[in-house]
Amino acid sequence: MATYRRGRGLGDRLLLLAVVALAIVWIAPIVWVIGLSFKPNDVLMRSTGGIHLPPFTLKNYVDIIASSQVFAWMLNSFIVAIGQTVLTLVIASLAGYGFARTNFPGRNVLFVLVLAALAVPEQAIIVPLHTMFAAVDLHNTYAALIAPRLAFPFGVLLMTQYFRAIPAEIEEAALLDRASRLKVFWRIVLPLSIPAQATLGIYTFLHAWNEYFWPLVSATKPAMYTLTVGLASMQTNFAQTEGIGFLMAQAVFAGLPVLILYLFFQRHIVSAVAGGGNK
Amino acid sequence: MLRRTLAGAVLGALLATQAMAQAKTEITFARFFGACEGDYGTSQDVAKARGECGVMTSLVNLFNATNKDNIVVKPQIIEWGPYYQQLNARIAAKDIPAIAVMHAAQLGDYTRYVEELDGVLKEAGIDAGDFTPNARTAVTVGGKIYAMPWDTHSWLWHFNIGLFKQAGLVDAQGQPLVPKSVEEMLAHAKQMKEKTGKPYIIMATAGAGDFANGARGYYSWLYDQGGSIFPDGYEKANFHTPASLASFGVFEALAKGGYITKGLDGSGVLGGFMNGIGAVYMTGTWRIDDFLAASAKPGGALSEGYTTRAFPNLFKTQSVWTDNHSWVLPKGGTTPATRKAALTFLKFLWDHNFDWARGGGHLPARQSLMADYAKLPLRQFVVDIPSFGKALPHEVRRQFGFQNMIGEEIANIVNSGKTAAQAADAAQERSVALLRGR
Repeated sequence: MATYRRGRGLGDRLLLLAVVALAIVWIAPIVWVIGLSFKPNDVLMRSTGGIHLPPFTLKNYVDIIASSQVFAWMLNSFIVAIGQTVLTLVIASLAGYGFARTNFPGRNVLFVLVLAALAVPEQAIIVPLHTMFAAVDLHNTYAALIAPRLAFPFGVLLMTQYFRAIPAEIEEAALLDRASRLKVFWRIVLPLSIPAQATLGIYTFLHAWNEYFWPLVSATKPAMYTLTVGLASMQTNFAQTEGIGFLMAQAVFAGLPVLILYLFFQRHIVSAVAGGGNK
Repeated sequence: MLRRTLAGAVLGALLATQAMAQAKTEITFARFFGACEGDYGTSQDVAKARGECGVMTSLVNLFNATNKDNIVVKPQIIEWGPYYQQLNARIAAKDIPAIAVMHAAQLGDYTRYVEELDGVLKEAGIDAGDFTPNARTAVTVGGKIYAMPWDTHSWLWHFNIGLFKQAGLVDAQGQPLVPKSVEEMLAHAKQMKEKTGKPYIIMATAGAGDFANGARGYYSWLYDQGGSIFPDGYEKANFHTPASLASFGVFEALAKGGYITKGLDGSGVLGGFMNGIGAVYMTGTWRIDDFLAASAKPGGALSEGYTTRAFPNLFKTQSVWTDNHSWVLPKGGTTPATRKAALTFLKFLWDHNFDWARGGGHLPARQSLMADYAKLPLRQFVVDIPSFGKALPHEVRRQFGFQNMIGEEIANIVNSGKTAAQAADAAQERSVALLRGR
């Protein structure tokens, strides 16, 4: 017993050491970015070393906040990210349930089509997509920012697979009690799929929050910029050489809302991801 | 009675406000150069503005505050990297700005989408006869003017005089010796390395945004030889001409001798030059004031002196790569009312061209400003560039694509030991895709 405990202790310690080492590797660039964001740009033009040494400044953050539109851009990002997340969850769940549990003519062909869409790169459809939204005069609207991403084949695949793994007997009992399909889905299946919903939700939100290219070509009026496009628009032509501190402050500023969300929902997110992995 | 009077007053005020609002003419103004509301949000003091962003922001503020026609310029700022992708998308979606900034190198790709300005400039009171030769060529496609030129920007050698002194490469006045041939440059580079242990040339070659550096050097030395990458028409490039191989060869010789920095990005070379890691920094006209400021600080690597010269002619005829910022009126971007306002703003910009050159770090587009420009620090060494600077002809489409591709091949020479011949082979092969469907 003592040998077992000692062995487990050593293993745990090695594991802990490995995790700490990996955490340092992961955190170091973030600490570097945060450190640079508090340094004056003219100092960083000479050297990006010594982030722990003075001088320090808040000017990079003040310059961001001084932009009259930065909070409007942040609001746009929230509306787009939350809208996209909620609607993707609804669509992917319903579609996934349909593929997993119902029989209809052409189901398999349709499912293969959905899977095939996974292989189509975004760049391949950007021009027809843009033309389509231009034809119905929807650019510079939230609808144009949210809608193109709602057809999310990975989400449908994830939910389909998840629903298939739920024992059918659970639903059959409810169906025998004359519950409708929708009621079974809403009352029984959906609560069981919370871990998968959370995984898909987190992924969709982060993807929507960080997205750059589609908002760049669709939201061309500054009032409709998302945070990624708006912050980038503030960069001077030589930002990578003479505005490094400002660039780093932008990265921190853009990442902060997501970090705050994570801090609030940390417990749910961790359990969701772990649950999603284990089912 | 009192109620009626009050109601009348309120109604009158509302109508007056509405009338004022109606009288305003808003024009959209698409540009890069960044946003800097923190430093210049309300500034109208153009003379004190520094940097491209500072000058542009102050100019728009000044115009909006002082124009008598109640015109409001609404800047639509976008990051420089994807600017043209967004402009394309805007043209496709018919969300077209009244005025847009455009590099001359891009103008050939856009003549179908922007207005011809020959008569328009006259209507606006802008004298095209005052364009510098370089600016005129830059905005003229097929004999017609398509843009109002805003500047000329070019490629220079920036010198750390302290290192040149240490290497014994200065003249009697303490000014750096500028080589006149490839052989002389390599001899200077060897001497620099032996005396100081430092590379002769500093150039960024590592980051995705750094590839323009090598390409601009390649073009400059190609033009010095009277060479072209399109000697037989614009359907097919030729990177195997003697001039092209010689231009690639300069970089090969520098790399083989260890006379050029390797694997550094833009930030690394800029900081490196100010910290004295090498003697000559190949970069643009826009850096002069930064280096002058650095050299004024005692104890720094540039404190023994800094100067600049136009890119040296190592072959036959002095020439150098240039490009230009210009302003275009995209087709469909104005109504009759906003068009008049757009022309008024263009004229205002034209009248402030010197402010842009002084604060933005570029050469003026107006010949009449050159004498005053030459009086700015060190500008006497670069003021002649518009008379001999060159760019690819407008018939060459996707010029930024060529610039990146050539720069990548030069980065391969510098960082990976590719030979000039191998780089020319690769450039030749890659040019086919760039020219496809032109």
